[in-house]
Amino acid sequence: MMNRIIVDADKSSFSLNIRELLSYRDLFYVLSYRDLRVRYAQTFLGLLWAGIQPIATLMILTLIFGRAISVDTGGIPYPLFALAGMTVWNYFSFVMAQSGSSIILAQEMVKKIYFPRIIIPFSKGIVGFVDFLITFLFLMVLMFYYNYTPTIRILYSLLFILLTVLASLGVGVWLSALTIRYRDFQHIVPFMVQLGLYVTPIAYPSTLIPEKYLLYYYINPMAGIVEGFRWSLIGGLPLNQYVYISFVCAFLLFISGLIYFKRTEKIIADIV
Amino acid sequence: MSEFAVKVERLSKYYQIGNTRSASLRDSISARIKSFTKGKSSEKGIFWALDDINFTLKKGVAMGIIGNNGAGKSTLLKILSRITEPSKGRFEMNGKVSSLLEVGTGFHPELTGRENVYLNGTILGMKRREVKNKFDEIVTFSGVEKFIDTPVKHYSSGMKVRLAFAVAAHLEPEILIIDEVLAVGDIEFQKKCLGKMNEVTGNGRSVLFVSHNMGAVSKLCDYGILLQDGKVKKQGDIQEVIRDYTNKATSSNLYLKESLENDKSHNIVRVYTTNSNQQSESYFKHDENIFLHIEFVASELVRDLNICISVYNDIGRAIFTSDRSLENYEIGIECINKAIVKIPANLLTNGDYSFLAAIHNPYSGAIEYLEYICPISVQDNGTPYLKYVGRWFHGDVFVDCHWDFS
Repeated sequence: MMNRIIVDADKSSFSLNIRELLSYRDLFYVLSYRDLRVRYAQTFLGLLWAGIQPIATLMILTLIFGRAISVDTGGIPYPLFALAGMTVWNYFSFVMAQSGSSIILAQEMVKKIYFPRIIIPFSKGIVGFVDFLITFLFLMVLMFYYNYTPTIRILYSLLFILLTVLASLGVGVWLSALTIRYRDFQHIVPFMVQLGLYVTPIAYPSTLIPEKYLLYYYINPMAGIVEGFRWSLIGGLPLNQYVYISFVCAFLLFISGLIYFKRTEKIIADIV
Repeated sequence: MSEFAVKVERLSKYYQIGNTRSASLRDSISARIKSFTKGKSSEKGIFWALDDINFTLKKGVAMGIIGNNGAGKSTLLKILSRITEPSKGRFEMNGKVSSLLEVGTGFHPELTGRENVYLNGTILGMKRREVKNKFDEIVTFSGVEKFIDTPVKHYSSGMKVRLAFAVAAHLEPEILIIDEVLAVGDIEFQKKCLGKMNEVTGNGRSVLFVSHNMGAVSKLCDYGILLQDGKVKKQGDIQEVIRDYTNKATSSNLYLKESLENDKSHNIVRVYTTNSNQQSESYFKHDENIFLHIEFVASELVRDLNICISVYNDIGRAIFTSDRSLENYEIGIECINKAIVKIPANLLTNGDYSFLAAIHNPYSGAIEYLEYICPISVQDNGTPYLKYVGRWFHGDVFVDCHWDFS
């Protein structure tokens, strides 16, 4: 097969070029591997940190919302309720935080060699899965402890995991492109992660939100996804009709993110 | 099957000066408001790094791209490597491309040598399977077998470069784009890499090579283009292009400046070599003195200037430099001043050399800077090393050291 490359400044291509991305799958793998190896290099506890962090957060949430304020979770034990939300949220916030600065951190590479730039933020999506699996395992243990047997609904959880990945990559790709143009976003992202924890029904159920605000509340894609994921695993309150807004938003974020990234990609090496 | 490897047509690239577009939100918003109230921003801050570049690289040909700093060489390579996009024009490439603008791209200090080989190889476009197949070869070439499972942060910089180079040397592209990466590493390793690259071109691959090292360019390339201020000034046979670059017209031992450059306070107008009899000469015997004559014109008196020469060997590397302050000499204004440098006999060994002549301020930089001028040849006519010529490279200079035995 002939490799042929044509670059023409007068014709702008707007395709994502899936075939090219696939041919770079080894790079995906290697970059993700590097991130994983480096993350816990020279730490004493190593991968244990991926388990310790969610447990510590869960304990704090349980103390404050479960005991002190005792929010109404519709009969679900509070630690289980919160952890189900945290499982997908942690993945989302990890990917969001990591991909935001990802291209700036990889600028030495970006200036010296060509590869589809979108691999950089996308590979963070793979890295996040390791933590996700650990938290998910922990969630299973907790379900067993509270005697929750998953029903056939658990199949829906795959759909919600997929939606989580879409939303995370969507936001991640948006932020990585925006951060190249405006370094301001390096300061905005941590704030977004923090704010997201409050405007997503992780520590509390969405029933606490007044009906008239729900329409806006679910613009946050993770709001509907977190509830859907929790529902698919441990049941509880049925989903309200607004969650679909979140699902649509997740899709829109992903598609618009790709378009914006593609437009920024052309000038990355010139401005980073 | 088409017979060209790379075809470049009307390729241009401009940069906006002073507007890098990654400043901050505030700048961007205020710029929007300004352009809204004052209409479109003007094109005054545009710099054309490349301007209407056209060339074709045939399959199996190695092409050297030469030119001064800022002539657009790096920009051209960046566009052909697809790191950045052209503003105008197009190019087409037939074949698998590898570009080496740097060695060791993506190396991570926390990872081991083994992991970095995989990482770097994949970044350079190899499949993991390919890296795996060539792994032993790569490690042997690098010579760091013993430390391959040690984190790279514990490597010396030399070891890092060797490992990085070993990976690069094992790429098997049909088109190789390579920047001045040979400047790193020790001379012996450089030669090893040059040899490996010769192999590459020998196998019918096409190469685009940027370097300041005229020796390497002329050894590796058949065809060349000379860039000047973003334009192709000359293209054709590499020797002719290099001659054009390293100096106008002839490859004689005489450098002559046709007209004074008015933006310089000092102009070197004539440089040439003579033997002890004051006769112009470009072939010297090892035991002959070499005299380098430099004539320069000063338009004003400038303090703290030095005049210097360097001697380059055949791969364009400076062997030594000699520097004198002009403070202690009476420099005539608007007339020709002469300096004669004697390079002692019994110093330069068998080989080809050229010179640098420069007038500079040691702290603020050069006023006049002429590289690769006045090429000469030196013939060994009787050192003890004569018997090794052609078999063993024993160095650029011969030094009669004092030995003591006890």
